[in-house]
Amino acid sequence: MASDRNQSFDPTEDLRQAGLRLQIIYYIAIVIFAALIARLWYLQVINSDGFRDRAEANRIRVIPIPAPRGTIYDRNGKPLVTSKSSYNIVLSRKDVKDSEFPQMADLLAEHMEIDRQWLAKRFEDAKIEAKHESIVIKELASERDLAWVEAHEYEYPMIRAERAPQRLYLYGQLAAHALGYVGEVSPEELKKPNGDFSKEKGYKLGDIIGKFGIERKYNDILMGKDGERRVLVDSRGRIQPQGTIEVIDPVPGRDLYTTLDLDIQKAAEEQTDTMPAGRGAIAVMDPNNGEIRAMASRPAFDPNVFSQRAKTPEGKDEIRELQTDEERPLFNRVIQGQFPPGSTWKLMTSVAALNEGVITPTDNRIQDGGLQIGNYPMRSISNFGKPDIITAIARSADGYYYRLGLKMGVEKFEKWVNLFRFGEPTGIDLPGEYKGIAPTRETKRRSWSRAIKKAQQALDEASPGDKAAKEFHLRQVQREAEWTDYDMASSAFGQGQNASTPIQLLRYTGGLAMGGQMYTPHLLLRAAPGVDRLGNQQPETYYGDSNKFSVPMSKEIHEIVLKGMAGAVEYGTAGAARVEGFDVCAKTGTAQVASTDRVGKKNKDHAWLISFAPRDKPELALVVLTENVGFGSTYSAPRAKAIYDDYYRRTRNLPPKTEETKAENSSPGAGARSPEARTGLQDSQPRVQN
Amino acid sequence: MVNVNRRYVADFDWTLFSLALGLAVFGVIEISSVQPSPGLWRRQLVGVGIGLVLMFLITLHDYRRILNAAPYLYAIGIALLLLVQTPLGKEVNNNRSWLELGSFSFQPSEMAKIFTLMLLAYYLAGVRKRPLDLRTVVVAVGIWALPTALVFWENDTGSALSFTSFLAAMLFLAGVRWSWMAAALVAVVIAVIVVAPRIKNCETYKCERVKSVYWPDLAKKRYRYQNEQAEIAVGSGAILGKGPRGSTQGGLGFLPEVHNDFIFAVASEEWGFIGSSLSLATYLMIIARLIQIARRSRERTGMLLVAGLAALLLYHVTVNVGMVVRLLPIMGIPLPLMSFGSTSVVATCFGLGLAISVRLRRFVN
Repeated sequence: MASDRNQSFDPTEDLRQAGLRLQIIYYIAIVIFAALIARLWYLQVINSDGFRDRAEANRIRVIPIPAPRGTIYDRNGKPLVTSKSSYNIVLSRKDVKDSEFPQMADLLAEHMEIDRQWLAKRFEDAKIEAKHESIVIKELASERDLAWVEAHEYEYPMIRAERAPQRLYLYGQLAAHALGYVGEVSPEELKKPNGDFSKEKGYKLGDIIGKFGIERKYNDILMGKDGERRVLVDSRGRIQPQGTIEVIDPVPGRDLYTTLDLDIQKAAEEQTDTMPAGRGAIAVMDPNNGEIRAMASRPAFDPNVFSQRAKTPEGKDEIRELQTDEERPLFNRVIQGQFPPGSTWKLMTSVAALNEGVITPTDNRIQDGGLQIGNYPMRSISNFGKPDIITAIARSADGYYYRLGLKMGVEKFEKWVNLFRFGEPTGIDLPGEYKGIAPTRETKRRSWSRAIKKAQQALDEASPGDKAAKEFHLRQVQREAEWTDYDMASSAFGQGQNASTPIQLLRYTGGLAMGGQMYTPHLLLRAAPGVDRLGNQQPETYYGDSNKFSVPMSKEIHEIVLKGMAGAVEYGTAGAARVEGFDVCAKTGTAQVASTDRVGKKNKDHAWLISFAPRDKPELALVVLTENVGFGSTYSAPRAKAIYDDYYRRTRNLPPKTEETKAENSSPGAGARSPEARTGLQDSQPRVQN
Repeated sequence: MVNVNRRYVADFDWTLFSLALGLAVFGVIEISSVQPSPGLWRRQLVGVGIGLVLMFLITLHDYRRILNAAPYLYAIGIALLLLVQTPLGKEVNNNRSWLELGSFSFQPSEMAKIFTLMLLAYYLAGVRKRPLDLRTVVVAVGIWALPTALVFWENDTGSALSFTSFLAAMLFLAGVRWSWMAAALVAVVIAVIVVAPRIKNCETYKCERVKSVYWPDLAKKRYRYQNEQAEIAVGSGAILGKGPRGSTQGGLGFLPEVHNDFIFAVASEEWGFIGSSLSLATYLMIIARLIQIARRSRERTGMLLVAGLAALLLYHVTVNVGMVVRLLPIMGIPLPLMSFGSTSVVATCFGLGLAISVRLRRFVN
């Protein structure tokens, strides 16, 4: 530029040049402002919706109001499980920064007596959750806790007290296994795709769901629709004065009427309570429709632990104890205990043999007594010479059934095992039912399949010199897997590779009572109409039995079954179950405990009793299992008697028994002193292992 | 001293005055919206009042006479900046930039900016050379460097950099060679290229603030928070805004320093794009007006003085709004006239008073 080289200063030229440079600054200013306005356009016009949502999420907090679960009643409308109102202390997850958490945990541990480690885990788990959720840190808050929270409202706005209904099991451990218990849905359950309680199905952390029993099976009926409170909060999570924008009231879950009868249930509980080993089960059903009247399993638990004390250190210890106890109190023996059915099974064999024409109603005398099959001696305690089938049932003649089984053969036998649907779950409306083991050739083959495979492999890999020995071994194993006469004889009277759950035997007993008509055992009577957890209106719901079936049984054959079982009570092995005027029919059984060590109490045999009454128009079917009482079925029959007796007197409006007679008749030893019971000792007891 | 007569009234820059007054009042309204308790907005109102009175008083005097006092004012500014480091100073948010005198507190750096600007105008106008020689540039940089260093010492990076804005503008206008300007520009670009990758791995809070704008994934969450909340405030205002007192981001405390450095976010939230773009346009009009006054000035002093003021204003608006809309890292820079803070308002009014004084005397020479 010309002026650049000119050292003399010209004010006019200077201002002219400065003016040009000022113009440049002006353009720079315009460019900068254009950029800022473009950015504002981008934020406020193009993307405003997203930011608006985020601003809303910032200022509105949704506080859930949990809905109480529906009440569970017995069949007569007596409440068994209710919900009561209480308070939870919750921590607003969003308002606690990770870095602040340790300090917060110390504070809570100190003032609320909350376990610090548990709190840390809970805080961690909540990270997978939607941000507005709050986490429950203490249930059943005390007055003191509530006062503390209120006093520190301003200082710690993230800690709040919220109303929460608490599940109350009115009778403690009564019917605990049937009713089940509730608890918070676990993160694992939430994450499981297609799980019953997955996030996709609308469950969220903190939801109280059924964990076991009816509570779990009918969770969709019992769970209500949670309400919510939408409130305005500031950046520290403090709810603003008059900050409630909207309250949606919770809708309680639907009431559920079970088939249980509180009176029968109480009687059954009383009888299970006195079982000598503290283990056993009683189940009562209406054979006319499969409705379960009572279900008791021992050892038991108090479901209130799970609903009310799950977050206190003592409650946590209690729950841990329940879960790790070797006696397995959380295990529902009625549907999860699998035991050899023993002599209760003889009726199955009888019905099969009569139907298949192996014996006939008029020609059915078979030799009783011990038997030698190959190298195996099969002892029989009984020897009634050549009894007829009714005597064989009533007096439980083992030898009779060894020979009857052998005479019938496995094909026919298997056909009837399958017709009675042993080895299949009954489909009772409870989660976790086991299916038992059916004594069939398939079962035996399957139990040997691994050994055969191993032997086959050994043969394939064997050196030429070793081949013969390996081949011999394979053939030996294959032969072992084959059905033998010994299997046939022991299966015919309920031993061998044979296991049933009490509920399977109960359905079977109902079928025997009803001349072959089998109903699915169930606990749901009806559910009241109402709103489900997703807000849909639901009509009154009844149980629909889609799985009932019948086993072919002619009137003649049914008559033999009835006579045999009535005979067992009148003059046979089940005399202790007799109730004057009620015509109880029953069959005892002993489930052998297969063990090399028979000395300990734990390895004593289990005593079965299957029964129904009255004989001609059955009202109840009842199964008693008393575990590890040792030799004899005399431990179960008196328990059935006590329950029948109570029921009979109540329904016929008779005066209740006096205390003394009641005690005498229901005590386990009482039956053993009666003459009938002594014959009961002749129940099947072959001392062989398989 | 001139008499307030008809000519003064006719020549007075009512446009500039109205624009400034409008923004100041808007600022007070927005402050009262997010801090409804009367304490803050009343104090701001008092600050605006003092500022306007000062502005009128300045316009009554010839700016050249005022500029004669520039060396003394500059010395006072430096003294005040030093005083901040004594126990009289007060540290707020990591920045030691406040002086506390009884119940009265103010920010010396705001005054020091204007005084330094005045001294530079005074000095550069007196150097009657074009292009500027090296000696002049060195002296000018010296005048700049002293207060800048002191403000850096306060840890107030944003304010320290603001000194550079008017130094650069005034050197440019006073006649620095194009080649020197180009060299400076290249040096800045190289510095950015060299420094940028280092910032990615650096974890001081200043680096985190830079990262949360340009590399948000690398920044720590708590440093991103302010940026995000400001963005939400501005964005959620949409086109028409949430209306007066409708700010939830500011009103419920999600935005930090809401009445202060983030007042523009609140204005954008409550008045939407209409409000935010109109207030930006107002600032642009003020700056354009200043540039026009500088161009019409008949002599070097007035031209340099007003242009320096324009550059300072441009810097403040750019940096403040830039950080609110997440284009620039967060620095503690007030938005002139609108942000809460009497010192800033009074200093800005003082500067505008000088500009009006220059305009009033554009025909006199």
